[in-house]
Amino acid sequence: MTVPIDQHLEEGKKDVTFRVFRFNPQVDSKSYFDDYTIPVERGITVLRSLNYIKEHIDASVSFRAFCQAGICGSCGMRINGLSQLACTTQVWDVLAKSREQGIIKVEPLRNLPLVKDLIVDMDPLVDKMKHYSNWIDSTMPEASMGKKEFLISEEEFLRYDKATDCILCASCVSECSILRANKEYVSPAVLLKSFRMNVDSRDSIHDQRLAELVKDHGVWDCTHCYRCQESCVKSIPIMDAIHGIREDAIETRGVKDTSGAKHAEAFMSDIEKKGKLVEATLPIRTNGVVWTLQNLLPMAVKMIMKRRTPPPPPLVKSAKGIKIFREMFREMTEHVKQDHKSHKK
Amino acid sequence: MKPFDVVIVGGGGAGLYAAMEAMKTNPSLNIAVLSKVYPNRSHTSAAQGGANAALANKAKDDTVEMHIFDTIKGGDYLADQDAVEVLCSEAPKIIRELENMGTPWSRMPDNTIAQRPFGGATLPRCCYCSDKTGHTILQTLYEQCLKKGVIFFNEYFALNLSVNGSRSRGLIAMNMKSGKVEAFPARTVIFATGGYAKMYWNRSSNAAGNTGDGQAIAFRSGIPLKDMEFVQFHPTGLRKSGLLITEGARGEGGYLVNKDGERFMARYAKEKMELGPRDLVSRSIETEILEGRGFDSPAGTYIHLDLTHLGADLIKSRLPQIREMSMQFEGVDPIEEPIPIRPTAHYSMGGIDTDNFGRTVMEGVYAAGECGCVSVHGANRLGGNSLLDILVFGRIAGHTAAEEARKFEPGTIPEVELKEQLDAVRGGMHSSGNYERYGALREDLGKTLARNVGIYRESSLLQKGIEEISELKERFKKVRVFDTSDVFNTNLMQVLELKNMLDLAETVAAGAYAREESRGSHTRVDFPVRDDANWHKHTLATLINGKVVLGEKPVTMGRYELQERTY
Ligand SMILES: Cc1cc2nc3c(=O)[nH]c(=O)nc-3n(C[C@H](O)[C@H](O)[C@H](O)COP(=O)(O)OP(=O)(O)OC[C@H]3O[C@@H](n4cnc5c(N)ncnc54)[C@H](O)[C@@H]3O)c2cc1C
Ligand code: SF4
Ligand code: SF4
Ligand code: FES
Repeated sequence: MTVPIDQHLEEGKKDVTFRVFRFNPQVDSKSYFDDYTIPVERGITVLRSLNYIKEHIDASVSFRAFCQAGICGSCGMRINGLSQLACTTQVWDVLAKSREQGIIKVEPLRNLPLVKDLIVDMDPLVDKMKHYSNWIDSTMPEASMGKKEFLISEEEFLRYDKATDCILCASCVSECSILRANKEYVSPAVLLKSFRMNVDSRDSIHDQRLAELVKDHGVWDCTHCYRCQESCVKSIPIMDAIHGIREDAIETRGVKDTSGAKHAEAFMSDIEKKGKLVEATLPIRTNGVVWTLQNLLPMAVKMIMKRRTPPPPPLVKSAKGIKIFREMFREMTEHVKQDHKSHKK
Repeated sequence: MKPFDVVIVGGGGAGLYAAMEAMKTNPSLNIAVLSKVYPNRSHTSAAQGGANAALANKAKDDTVEMHIFDTIKGGDYLADQDAVEVLCSEAPKIIRELENMGTPWSRMPDNTIAQRPFGGATLPRCCYCSDKTGHTILQTLYEQCLKKGVIFFNEYFALNLSVNGSRSRGLIAMNMKSGKVEAFPARTVIFATGGYAKMYWNRSSNAAGNTGDGQAIAFRSGIPLKDMEFVQFHPTGLRKSGLLITEGARGEGGYLVNKDGERFMARYAKEKMELGPRDLVSRSIETEILEGRGFDSPAGTYIHLDLTHLGADLIKSRLPQIREMSMQFEGVDPIEEPIPIRPTAHYSMGGIDTDNFGRTVMEGVYAAGECGCVSVHGANRLGGNSLLDILVFGRIAGHTAAEEARKFEPGTIPEVELKEQLDAVRGGMHSSGNYERYGALREDLGKTLARNVGIYRESSLLQKGIEEISELKERFKKVRVFDTSDVFNTNLMQVLELKNMLDLAETVAAGAYAREESRGSHTRVDFPVRDDANWHKHTLATLINGKVVLGEKPVTMGRYELQERTY
């Protein structure tokens, strides 16, 4: 026997207050929040609620939405502090985790210029896609196109399959810790796309793209905080792409230039010097010490062992390098522990 | 603004291919793409299934000829056979071209492009990339356009053509970010604004913006629309949103069940049961609902797509997307409960009447993609043929416009027209006294269409539909735009879209009322059979003195004689 779904719906509706970020550049000098309280039944998404508010309460609330099916990437916004798609986020699910009972706060994505209410300007992201040549420059001359297929193995396809899930919703961009400080930073989604292009055998500008990626504001600026990956609405392992680019850079460019190594050095001294940065951004917090050691240490060690990179002080000897890393991570662990304690209070 | 050689309205698959091809045809031309959403957001991204091409990678004996025949038969012999020939013979080339530019097609064991079976095709010829084919095609095209330096005007909303006698001077559009109405003087304009199936609103699988803007603009400029009455319904849309649950769910063994707990397909397709052809399954579900065997709910009457008997393992491994969608959009986990569904308006076969080169009757105006009607789909589109259509005819339109641009003088758009548009746009902001809410009108339009111009059509229902649409048009005159700001006024945009849908709804209903036969997606209860003697022809709808006037156009035949369509 099948149970009519409405029996469940009759479990009731909940009154939910949507606290919506408002800003109209034409009249407002400062942003503010408007509260809208509406009854919401199970199965309703945040986007449907916003549509309801727009149609029945306040038509001036402005946000983007198009496909309503989680595929176009239009409706990225921060819902209770987390960047995600409004059209695939269930109101009741958010409520269950809401800190303030019955209230859902809706704000625009961060790290992109604000246009109005929940709408941000996507152009900076597109400009970065252009800057880092986020396209295939085919080895096939244009005149010969359409005549025959490239033969591509399943193995190669799998290398970029997940990366092509990206819908450019900019949730990861909004969560990126480096972008908050440096708007010039390449951005996680653009790193992901760059990686996808670089591992495609049809592409002919790998070296050129990579050369751009290792410059200032490029791949070496990433702090491995993992926030982009955690917030990715398509669960794409963005960090694999970032690691991939770094390893590629060390492999193919290590001997040629020092930019990568210099950045690595700066990154490490940053960590040593500024506990704050570590506390705010490092992956230990979310991934645990063991994970971090397993995943990050080997790469650093590889860099040093291979001696492809001119060893910058103080990592003159590999053994010494590892020691320093261990010390650093111990220090970080302390930070995290303290942090946890203070949170619990 | 400096006049453009080619202005393309729409950044979906059709628009982007047109842009690329126009640049390739003549790199010295000044070309722009205008889109109301960022191109990568276009509805092309929603296509999951794939695109058909007789590559013969999977079925070695597949041929272009067979693809042509399947398409003509699928369209119930209303497609123009010369156009279908172009579509299918260009298919392998265009799919390879995309592959050469980086589209991540799934692969066969021999490393060629993978293909799978799809409804209405004799052999497996649907090329795909997992379940994100449209998305990856659109990505590739957008990337290539960025590479080529195509000029984009993103978040510009096209309002009108500027027309001088029999030719266009260019386009008038609103910049959403500033609210300014701007002129785009152009030698040629290509409309590639996608479909109009969203007029069925909550009963549509389409994106919110698939409101037929290009068709409506062309129509208001006196360009005829073709075969507007043909709208394809997909059997399994989610109850609340109309979003699509793909055929895969039934392919894996899902049941369709009514409120009496009965697998009702036994009544309509004893052998194939849930796996009958799309239109038959849609009609069967609709019959159950009409005869009172559906489940009632505030969000409308529905039936169940039951997967519970398939078990958690199979659902998780084979149908993860469907499970995710049911949970996200209905709050229902199909492992535990059946999914509430009903048929949903999915694709618009009709559109701006063009020749095989994308030309309309107006000099310098072209159309392609779901917005145009060549016609390659006839009375019913086959799955996987639409992505192909937008690519092939997008490219052709881009090429033709680029070739012909220099034939035409660049027009200048008179200031007064801009002012007119601005006034028209702003009009709704100042209405006082009794006013109408766009949300209610839009909902009512969807309802009246689904009820009266839906899957089953009948003379008195259609008449009622026509009356109700004209009442809605009256009510629209008092619609209120509440948001009075210039910056990104989505309220205003929705009102403009509603106007376009209302204008087009009239042509859909008029065409359906006139066509006294059943063919493809158009089912008249009062005229249940195909009537080739009287109705083997295209419908043309033209706006003359503010009235929809219906005309006709012969179907171009070729090698294939009319036959009864059986599967
Ligand atoms: C859920 C779903 C699944 C599908 N699956 C398949 C499939 O598997 N295989 C297949 O072949 N087909 C499929 N289709 C159909 C196919 O996806 C569409 O027909 C096709 O993508 C349409 O492409 P287009 O380029 O014509 O228009 P779109 O991709 O819709 O693009 C329209 C463009 O026009 C712009 N625009 C519209 N109005 C304006 C305006 N006023 N001003 C400025 N710009 C404007 C938009 O911004 C957009 O960029 C599916 C459709 C749906 C809804
Ligand atoms: S891991 Fe790197 S790219 Fe990702 S959010 Fe952190 S700093 Fe940004
Ligand atoms: S990587 Fe994920 S979160 Fe970032 S833009 Fe792409 S889909 Fe969105
Ligand atoms: S509206 Fe398209 S992803 Fe949400």
